[in-house]
Amino acid sequence: MDTSNPAVFVNGGLLCSYVSRRVRMVIQVVRPDAGGLTGRSADDKEIVVKGQMPSPLTTFVEVIGVAETESAISIRAETVTNFGDTFDANNFNQLCQLANGDFRQLFI
Amino acid sequence: MTYGSDFDGGAAFSGGGFMPSPPTQTADPSPSAFSKNRDTQTLIPLTAKQINKALLSNDDKVNFIIDGVDVSNVKLVGMVLEKDDRVTNVSFFLDDGTGRIECNRWIQDPVDTKEMNSIMNGMYVRVHGQIKGFQGKKQLVVFGIKPVTEFDEITHHFVECIYVHSYNTKLMKQKASSSSNQTHTPGSAVKTQAYITASSNQFTAHYGVHHGVEGVEKMVLDYLMFPASLAREKGVHQDELVSQLGIPLDRIKAAINFLMEEAAVYDVDDVHYQGSGQCVILISSF
Repeated sequence: MDTSNPAVFVNGGLLCSYVSRRVRMVIQVVRPDAGGLTGRSADDKEIVVKGQMPSPLTTFVEVIGVAETESAISIRAETVTNFGDTFDANNFNQLCQLANGDFRQLFI
Repeated sequence: MTYGSDFDGGAAFSGGGFMPSPPTQTADPSPSAFSKNRDTQTLIPLTAKQINKALLSNDDKVNFIIDGVDVSNVKLVGMVLEKDDRVTNVSFFLDDGTGRIECNRWIQDPVDTKEMNSIMNGMYVRVHGQIKGFQGKKQLVVFGIKPVTEFDEITHHFVECIYVHSYNTKLMKQKASSSSNQTHTPGSAVKTQAYITASSNQFTAHYGVHHGVEGVEKMVLDYLMFPASLAREKGVHQDELVSQLGIPLDRIKAAINFLMEEAAVYDVDDVHYQGSGQCVILISSF
């Protein structure tokens, strides 16, 4: 991450509008895959993450990476951070909507 | 949450030399004057992008202005990167996803060293500090740094940034519209206090700021607190208040009685009133 390429707060629904751009999202891990994991976003969309995962993996992870141009919603992860087992996904969902809506100028 | 206090600063400190002298003729009664008072400096949650975009305040060329508010002490939440341990200080970049800002933590005693040793690259932290500009670049002098353990804090911090931004821009709009408006609309309660993070143990005295005074009382008080009004020996005639504010006499008198009880106003004689120049702190319940 650097100032010329900030990471946008997104949830599943917003990911498609940020294809090939750096994004950050918090997802709930459904199952680890080979080469990544499958998870559920704060707005209940299925997300595929490719990249190196920390181990052990907690229930929630934050993924910072580049949204990919594939039909399945996926992110190529640069950084994955364990966010613990308790995280309020609803709050995060609302934050994504605000950060991309009325208050974009504070974030991007 | 109460942002005011029921402590009457005027009674406690009068005679001790702590009370400010009455405003002079040239004093600016508008709310923006008090933001330079150190008592009203607040801790503002910000995103790195807001800081990088901030402009230098015109008045003192030392502080920055964000959303119309003098900003000095700030709070950020982000990831530590490129931590560099040196002898007298530790520097690192804080990256919160909206931008990057360089941070400096000066090491003065072993406690500081211990605090910084527990911070690693890639760790999410909460940082309190002061913004400094240096050769056009913004830097943060860090007072306190703590690792984030509950990650809801990240969501909370950004939501708080949004709230503060929204509060302060609304305040700016109100200031802009009220200064261009000669006649106040009765019953409009304009809160002129900038955002303060709630701290229930902290007593703050805001000289010249009137909490919890609304509507007609506020208009009467504001009129009486103008330097021109305060400078008059005989005070302000109640008929003048009626004609200037466009409010009927009985409501003016009710407002004045209230203000006299609060020691914000005193009567020179039966029909002339003078602002007392003392601070008024009332309990305001939200």
